[in-house]
Amino acid sequence: MRITQSMLANNMLKQITRSYEKLDQYQTQLSTGKKITRPSDDPVVAMKGIAYRSNLAEVEQFKRNFSEAYNWVENSDSALDKATQALQRIRELVVQASNDTYEETQRQAIAKEVRQLTEHLVTIANTKVGDKYIFNGAQTTEPPVTVNADGTIAVSTNDQQLNIELAKGVYIPVNIPPSTAFGAGNGLFSDLQDLAASLENPSTTGDELTGYLDKLDNHLTHLLGVRAELGARMNRIELMEDRIDSQQVIAEKMLSDNEDVDLEKVITDLKTQESVHRAALAVGARVIQPTLVDFLR
Amino acid sequence: MLSTFHGLEAARRAMMAQQAALYTTGHNIANANTEGYTRQRVQLEATPPFPIPGLNRPNIPGQMGTGVEAKSVERVREYFLDVQYRGENSKLGYWEARADAVAKMEDIMNEPSDSGLAKTMDQFWQALQDLSTHPENEGARSVVRQRGLAVTETFHYLSNSLTQIRTDLGTQIGVTVTEVNSLLKQISDINARIAEIEPNGYLPNDLYDERDRLVDELSKFIDIQVENRPVGGNASKAAEGMYDVYIRNGNEKVYLVQGRNASSISFPDGSDVDGDNVNEVPPDTGVGALDMGGTTVSVSSLPNGNLRGLVEGYGHKDGTDANGQPIVKGLYPGMLANLDKLAYTFGTLFNAVHEQGHGLNGNTGIAFFSGLNQVNGAAKMIDLASDIDDLANIAAATKAGQSGNGNNAINLANVRSLLLSNTTVSLQDGIMVNLASLRLPLTSGTVETNYQGWIGQLGVAGEQANRMKSNSEILRQSVEEKRQSVSSVSLDEEMMNMIKFQHAYNAAARQITVIDEMLDKIINGMGVVGR
Repeated sequence: MRITQSMLANNMLKQITRSYEKLDQYQTQLSTGKKITRPSDDPVVAMKGIAYRSNLAEVEQFKRNFSEAYNWVENSDSALDKATQALQRIRELVVQASNDTYEETQRQAIAKEVRQLTEHLVTIANTKVGDKYIFNGAQTTEPPVTVNADGTIAVSTNDQQLNIELAKGVYIPVNIPPSTAFGAGNGLFSDLQDLAASLENPSTTGDELTGYLDKLDNHLTHLLGVRAELGARMNRIELMEDRIDSQQVIAEKMLSDNEDVDLEKVITDLKTQESVHRAALAVGARVIQPTLVDFLR
Repeated sequence: MLSTFHGLEAARRAMMAQQAALYTTGHNIANANTEGYTRQRVQLEATPPFPIPGLNRPNIPGQMGTGVEAKSVERVREYFLDVQYRGENSKLGYWEARADAVAKMEDIMNEPSDSGLAKTMDQFWQALQDLSTHPENEGARSVVRQRGLAVTETFHYLSNSLTQIRTDLGTQIGVTVTEVNSLLKQISDINARIAEIEPNGYLPNDLYDERDRLVDELSKFIDIQVENRPVGGNASKAAEGMYDVYIRNGNEKVYLVQGRNASSISFPDGSDVDGDNVNEVPPDTGVGALDMGGTTVSVSSLPNGNLRGLVEGYGHKDGTDANGQPIVKGLYPGMLANLDKLAYTFGTLFNAVHEQGHGLNGNTGIAFFSGLNQVNGAAKMIDLASDIDDLANIAAATKAGQSGNGNNAINLANVRSLLLSNTTVSLQDGIMVNLASLRLPLTSGTVETNYQGWIGQLGVAGEQANRMKSNSEILRQSVEEKRQSVSSVSLDEEMMNMIKFQHAYNAAARQITVIDEMLDKIINGMGVVGR
């Protein structure tokens, strides 16, 4: 084939441009850390990239939901622990007071303490975490327990379960409804008020007071049961969190495998291309120079 | 009897012929870098020998050569390579336009990234999940509202930007059509000049070059064919005549240039922006058909080339839909329609779930998104309903009067993964969505997978366009190389020729000296015996 100077020059220019294109591609890959910058670079990678990102965002959101679930369960448990302690104290007091040798004033004092502890339990039932009442079902902006003007205590019946989605389609109830924790209607509180009234009444016998011990034991057992369930729920949440943690690692790995560059490979390719580029320039410089014009005098 | 001065005459002819060849060499060297220049060669031919056979021929032995003359100056060019080059150039023009249109779309869609529509939607779903855990919280509600706003704004941005690029494509089509028409005019003008020169027996080589260059340029825009039309008169055998330029519309030849006359291409339903009575810009509603030299050519049979690539990007009418509205197909109208479908499906479905939930104030039946009256234009129109300005109206709860109930927020967050092929979907707390009654334009996959699919399709279209662009570039380059191999100027070769012609010229001059000496002998040295 007949080759002319302009062909050599054009060809050299094309080769060098092509070489620059490759250098540019490696530079982009190295500075972004990504194999591709647009879908046409690799449609499959791009499509998967979107799906993996969504997946990762979802998993990260579930992780965020976990802290909220813990918040609920741990605060409920701690409140119920306090409630258990208060009830145990009341039980001790009842055991003391059921001793018939106690005088009226002594019983009055115990009655006062029982009333204080009852108020304490009301406070516990009305525990607020952040801006929510945690023991009032879905009615989190209202307190579950109210003390009426006549001194009676009413417990709400809001027992709607509050669910948090902790994995795709898995909804975990996180709240303890007021009726479960403090007895439906006003079970616990009316018993305590009855107890205080009996203590204040001088004609109450020790045996009558002993009768309250059974009721208190019932409430204590009930609270323990609720706390056991909370513990089990906590366990389940922890197990799920483990799984979501590993899901997050997998999602991140898939995202990375899909679109992140293999640095060693790109740097090697870059170095190779660099030497090719130098060679192309050197060859060009040599080939373009001499023509017959330079030798004919 | 040979003339005394026969040798002088032969040598003079030789000098003139070699001089002509030397000047042509100079012309070649001068144009070594001229775009479209074809190297020229002087065809040297021995002049008719003496004597010419006849009754009164002188009786001399044999025929005596009378020297040389420059018969013609011709281009060294191969027509077949031109045809190949133009074919490849048209393909390259088409794929370049397509690759360019796809690349711009990719820039706008900006996927996969941390700022595309997918990410904005991901953040919206996340905000809803956060709301599900804090339904009574103003902050969480406000974030949902803001992220919802971000989704609608992203839809607006994408739709507006794509519309803008589409309008730019329309302008670009206008410029291209103007350029094509100008090229057609220039080719016909050169034809006219050639038709004036050729009958005199001359070869207007530089005009041929210019005309071929213009046809090459034209081939990038449309795949054209060329026929020669002889001009008659006393034209040389090597004369190329006028070019008739035509395109193939099926089996029919549609002439764009016929000798001295050029026709033009235009869009019958388009608009004229520069006042030259040619509708060069296609209508906003998509290209219906093209008028090419008085013949209507449909987009589907539009020959390859840049123009076709642009028209396919811009969109063309393809039948009518059930309502009698024209269906516009093409890269940009396609993506715009997809975005409309997505915005409509997403917004309508979201509303259907939202309307069944209860706000913090117990309100129900409230739409979250507005502007979804029809699919067409939904991406531009989708907006937050004004009711949502009151954050308490965001329906996070499945039941009225339950401030801490976030179950509907979970339902809303799960709209992302609802299978659109279902006829009904049941969500938490007995909330049902009758998908069939919503008449959604998307009926398979989920809101997310549909979008992912389109990005994939866009990527595949781009990948194909880039690959074909680079393939046709390589092919064109290889043909161009073959053409250059035949036609481009080699300085080495010209230098060789220069030396060759110089030596021949010098030798002819020396011949004159020899004859001069001979004649000197005859005239001045003879008949002087004994002087």
